[in-house]
Amino acid sequence: MTFFTFVTRGLTRRPVRTGLTIVGIAIGIAAVVGLVGISRGFETSWQTGMKSRGTDIVVSNMGRGLTPKPFSATVVERITPLPHVAETCALLVDLISVEKADMMIVSARQWGGFSWKNLKIVSGRLPNDAAERAVVLGKTAAEVLGKKVGDTLQLETEELAVVGIVDGGAVVEDGSVILSLPLLQEITGNQGKINIVDLRVTPRTTKEELTRLCAQITGLVPEARAVIAGDHIRDSQAYRMISAMSWGTSLLAVLVGVLGVMNTMLMTVFERTQEICVLLAIGWKRSRIVRMVLWESALLGFLGGVGGVLIGVVGVQLLVTTPAIRGLLEPELNPQFLVMAVAIAVVVGVVSGVYPAWRSSRLTPSHALHG
Amino acid sequence: MPIPNGDSDWVFEASGLKKEHDDGRVQALRGVDFRIQQGEFVAIVGPSGSGKSTLLQMLGALDHPSAGTLTYRGASLVERADLASYRAHEIGFIFQAFHLLPTFTALENVQIPMFETHRSVSEREHRAIELLKAVGLETRQHHFPAKLSGGERQRVAIARSLANGASVLLADEPTGNLDSESAALILDLIVRLRREQHFTLILVTHDLGIARQAARIIEMKDGRIVSDALNKEPT
Repeated sequence: MTFFTFVTRGLTRRPVRTGLTIVGIAIGIAAVVGLVGISRGFETSWQTGMKSRGTDIVVSNMGRGLTPKPFSATVVERITPLPHVAETCALLVDLISVEKADMMIVSARQWGGFSWKNLKIVSGRLPNDAAERAVVLGKTAAEVLGKKVGDTLQLETEELAVVGIVDGGAVVEDGSVILSLPLLQEITGNQGKINIVDLRVTPRTTKEELTRLCAQITGLVPEARAVIAGDHIRDSQAYRMISAMSWGTSLLAVLVGVLGVMNTMLMTVFERTQEICVLLAIGWKRSRIVRMVLWESALLGFLGGVGGVLIGVVGVQLLVTTPAIRGLLEPELNPQFLVMAVAIAVVVGVVSGVYPAWRSSRLTPSHALHG
Repeated sequence: MPIPNGDSDWVFEASGLKKEHDDGRVQALRGVDFRIQQGEFVAIVGPSGSGKSTLLQMLGALDHPSAGTLTYRGASLVERADLASYRAHEIGFIFQAFHLLPTFTALENVQIPMFETHRSVSEREHRAIELLKAVGLETRQHHFPAKLSGGERQRVAIARSLANGASVLLADEPTGNLDSESAALILDLIVRLRREQHFTLILVTHDLGIARQAARIIEMKDGRIVSDALNKEPT
């Protein structure tokens, strides 16, 4: 018998209550895994999308929306002559309802721009020219919309031909409807407007030069901001709000878990008052009693954390297969994040156990003689 | 009262020992004086509310006196910093209600006090098996308290009280929850173990029949010692 026998017996003596407490923490941690994993996944998906398009700098005005605000396409002319700028590609990207999909990325690209070049044709072809009233679909978008080459796609009021299915090399690209820039400008009434300029720099451009170029572009183009591709989504107020709300909601769920563990551990201490007093009477130090209670609550947290991670991972995987979400993001559930979620649960357990442990340390051994 | 050869022979010395509760409204001990020698078997008798259990709590450092002095082997018990160590190593406690932990087997219950020692897991288990053998429960070591009779539970409790080799055993109505047959067996066991291990035994009881087995009987009433006499013919 070891000290941990006391810890485990303390929890197994009321298996239903212990189980319910673990479920309570697990739900809180599952919320953390789900909400934060999705919000971080959104960031990762955008970054992967940029990377697959070969973008080094993004010029946009993220403002409060999830998609950038439109600005004049003449911005490209001001940027192109700058030093270190190798290529530019103007885009108009929007998140809109497309047929049965509630929200889908519609990505219109400057005809001939480098952002077309990463697309690998799975079936069909790319549009013949900027004027062809046609779209290509990322492979996930095609699955979600149930479209194949030769079908038509209703975009706003326009019916467009699906001429190709492509593999974009990233979840965001695969989940997009891709068409030429002038076509979407016309359909959405945004003639002469774009909302993103993807920019490639010349080889061997250093990080410092990249940062300097961003500042230079931002100074030159007051209607937008230039940021290094990886930082683009973090520039969005909407993303920051969603991220904060994810953490806020998760912390609320975790707080409920804290109260659950605290309640359970307080009940445990109250129920075992006599036992704890006997342990004190036969020579146990108060510090050992405190450690016993804290270990019990930490173990509750750990088990709840592991359960929460499992629920969260399975839940998120199920969620991203739903038509409403599919193709929009890939959740970020890397091992470090999942270990952090379990660590949060253990901390929750320990913190919740502090007050019950303190209560247990205040008991007097003389109670052992009563009853 | 026996006269020891020197000061070090006194296990306990109490002088003017008082214990008050509820801001002095209840006086459990009203000035108690006594000395107990190493190896003595002392019975403390008296009716309910006489203060005998309160006195046992003071001796076991389970509670502090309100006034007076109480020493253990010449040093003040009240001022002692390591009371947990005192309870773990110097004394053993036997309770009327046994107070075994219900989710632990007999073998595990006996090991509990040994967590405050440096014994390894196997040493603790080996020692607990020896103690259970000494109280005649070697075949019941894996039983939980609920599966043991009252007498068996008290024998486990006795084994637990001796786990760390206590030199003083404090017993609070150890037979109070037992039928007369089991009570006699338990008392015989305690007396036999005391003879073998030479520990000081202080036993609180309201049963004069049990008290007559002790070599010295202290009688209490209303928080005071009303008589303290050697029992010339312990039964």
